[in-house]
Amino acid sequence: MSGCETAVEYVYQYIDDEITVRRRARIKWHLRRCPSCVGAYEFEKQLKQRVAAAGKAQPSPEFLAQIREIVEQAQGEGSS
Amino acid sequence: MTVVSVTVAAMADQATFADDAMEYAPQLYSAALRMTRNPADAEDVVQETFLKAYRGYGSFKEGTNLRAWLYRILTNTYINKYRKAQRRPDEVELGELQDIYLFRRLGEQSGATESAEKTALDMFVDEDIIEALDALPENFRMPVLYADVEGFSYKEIAEILDIPIGTVMSRLHRGRKALQKELYDLAIQHGLVEPTE
Repeated sequence: MSGCETAVEYVYQYIDDEITVRRRARIKWHLRRCPSCVGAYEFEKQLKQRVAAAGKAQPSPEFLAQIREIVEQAQGEGSS
Repeated sequence: MTVVSVTVAAMADQATFADDAMEYAPQLYSAALRMTRNPADAEDVVQETFLKAYRGYGSFKEGTNLRAWLYRILTNTYINKYRKAQRRPDEVELGELQDIYLFRRLGEQSGATESAEKTALDMFVDEDIIEALDALPENFRMPVLYADVEGFSYKEIAEILDIPIGTVMSRLHRGRKALQKELYDLAIQHGLVEPTE
């Protein structure tokens, strides 16, 4: 398998930091020599960051207060 | 977190539940919104999750992963509440897509220089990314959501979704490619790029 094929196959495990030390080292070695794989890795990393940022939402303060109230009410019933 | 507290009280105390769990409420809401795609339903799911978690808190082992435990309850609550209404929701498969799908497609447009790739994603606004995420079949959307947005490890996702780690990895891989295809299709639809075939 070529260095590029291996790099493509493991791109997600690499950017998710779910890869063995040995494989990470091999891919790093390849990336130092392959600008097109570096471009692909950068792109995937940036897309992951964009998804992380876009996917986050904030609940309203009223809703959070409501949850706390419900939980504290349940706790009150449990202890009485 | 200390060894002492684990040995003194192996099981969590319901009386401390609000203090222990409330900090996760905003992120649980965020995940629920991406699952239900609707704020009112997301609030319902989170509320039910907290009540279930409170009732079950006595059996939660202190010192284990509270955040993952809460997400597991959230996921099951969502599935029980909404999946029944869907048709064959478990069985959605995705066609085979090329690896590094979007990068390659956009690269064909711009000549694949490194600086072009840096700006290629700038054509998308957050709403586009949410639209693409929401379009994913549920069994692929959840792993993507949990890895990318919530930052869980593969092992944690396997526990939350109750599927083998290998399944997490393959769904994540295919789900991310599908997300990229959705984005690419959106870009074509809105005339941001020219179709290449």
